[in-house]
Amino acid sequence: MTDHPSSIVVPGQMPDVSERKQARRENWRLIRRRPAFLIGMAILLVWVVCALFPLTIAPHHPLDFRTGLNQSPSWDHPFGTDQTGRDVFSRVIAGARDILRIAPAAAVLGVLFGVILGMLMGYIRGWFDIIASRIVESFLALPVVLVGLLAVTTMGNSAWVVIGVVAALFTPIVARTVRAAVLAERELDYVTSAKLRGESTMFIMFREILPNVMGPIVVELTVRLGYAVFTVATLSFLGAGPPPPSPDWGSQVSDNYSSIVSGFWWRTFFPAGAIASLVISVNMIADSVQSVMEAS
Amino acid sequence: MLVTLWLLATIVFLLVSVLPGNVGRKVLGPFAPEAEVQRYNQAIGTDRPLLQQYFTSIRRAFTLDFGKSYGTREDVRDMVLDALGRSGKLALLAFVLTIPISIVAGIIAARRQDKITDRVIVNAGLASSSIPEFVTASVLLSIFAVQLGWGKAFANPPDNAGPIEQLQYLVLPATAMAIAYFGYIARMTRAGVITALHADYTRTATMKGLSKRQVMVRHVLRNALAPTITVISVQIGYLFGGIIGVEKVFNYAGLGSLMLGAVGAHDVPVLQGAVMLVGMIYMVSTLLADLLIAYLNPRIRLGATK
Repeated sequence: MTDHPSSIVVPGQMPDVSERKQARRENWRLIRRRPAFLIGMAILLVWVVCALFPLTIAPHHPLDFRTGLNQSPSWDHPFGTDQTGRDVFSRVIAGARDILRIAPAAAVLGVLFGVILGMLMGYIRGWFDIIASRIVESFLALPVVLVGLLAVTTMGNSAWVVIGVVAALFTPIVARTVRAAVLAERELDYVTSAKLRGESTMFIMFREILPNVMGPIVVELTVRLGYAVFTVATLSFLGAGPPPPSPDWGSQVSDNYSSIVSGFWWRTFFPAGAIASLVISVNMIADSVQSVMEAS
Repeated sequence: MLVTLWLLATIVFLLVSVLPGNVGRKVLGPFAPEAEVQRYNQAIGTDRPLLQQYFTSIRRAFTLDFGKSYGTREDVRDMVLDALGRSGKLALLAFVLTIPISIVAGIIAARRQDKITDRVIVNAGLASSSIPEFVTASVLLSIFAVQLGWGKAFANPPDNAGPIEQLQYLVLPATAMAIAYFGYIARMTRAGVITALHADYTRTATMKGLSKRQVMVRHVLRNALAPTITVISVQIGYLFGGIIGVEKVFNYAGLGSLMLGAVGAHDVPVLQGAVMLVGMIYMVSTLLADLLIAYLNPRIRLGATK
């Protein structure tokens, strides 16, 4: 038993763990009761379904050229058609896939790296913390969109590069939040007792402290997801998105915005509206999670 | 602050020095003779070892002399400052539009906490701050400039335009940016006012018979505005991220367009100059915010000098 310290049952720990589970269940119940959460989830769900089955839902193929050019919105083409006669409604539906693949991946990776870095900074402290803090600070002084654009121009605009760049830009932001949470935890008695039990640093960081800072991490994940949608859409508008025939929303706005003044507003308006509805829904979810978690 | 500046310069160097390709070839075009390309690279120093280029770039960051643009051979400092002037005008108008409205909205929301007015303001703020600026800009352009014929679709005013005419050109892009900041500022103001309204000193002020107005102005707002000021100062840094999209939609020749063009053309000195400038503006605005907060709140001021 002594060579397997994690299996030692300390009497005082049992209620602690179940209490945490109960608190989590209670939080989840409170979150589900917020109207903003439900509305956000409903909108998000619509886009997820569009992303999963675009060809089944869309009335036309997103790359189909056969219909008339530049038609204004009508019963046949609720969002009109573009300069090559493609159905904008179908393209908006198909475009959900790109952003819903890239943004969540970037948010999850960014939070993952941020948690690891923040835990190390907050728990190990010392020189590592001082140097890392300085680097984090100067990263925060850089406009995320601009650095993202620079990096994507350098390394090419494949989906993986965009994911990696956005994740890398989110890492310092997440790390700062996690570091602050860990600093508050590391002085508590349970950490001292784990040290006295002779637990390894890794064990203390990830099995003892991590479960206790999950609250801020979950909040950070939902908030980052909102920012990831924002950043990925902006990057693809600025030219870092997938190349032209793709129905990606940011690229659609970028391809069509200069024709707004010629009166073809629908070619830009609807993909732009799709971006707006997605970011708003994700932020409604994030905001509900945040208010419940911070109140508890 | 100097350390942050140095790190900033290093990050910018690392990002731009890995931009692939032969700069001379890029600038002179695919048909220029090889000797010409080599002479060009030698002249601008892109044939030197990376470490040497790095020291040059750091020296430039600290002396604020970024050399000449690879593309136009103009002095980078002049280009960047020119563009900053135009972007600054746009940003200033956006702040003038957004700050009073969002602070008042935040105060109203706080005083009507959890009532319908509050919910409307909070949710409008959440929506406004979460939508990317280029989306707001293109929607505004569709509705106002095209459908209603208000405002101008291209933001660059003619050179001889008077202040009123310039305003007509700038009002739509500035509104797009103002909408993006409304949410953050209103939300922080609301949170600050709610905290201050529940504080003991507010109760004391009410109990000793001050008028509602006096309590609000002298006790609540003075304390509540500190987080708001911090948020505004942080927004100044983010402003230059959002401004790129807005300037692109409205074809405005500001700092955002300059950076976007420089990224496309691999114009390293221009990029370096512009990004360093944005970083410095951000650092200075954060510092100014700290000073302003200390001025407003003697507890921080006296605590700091102790």
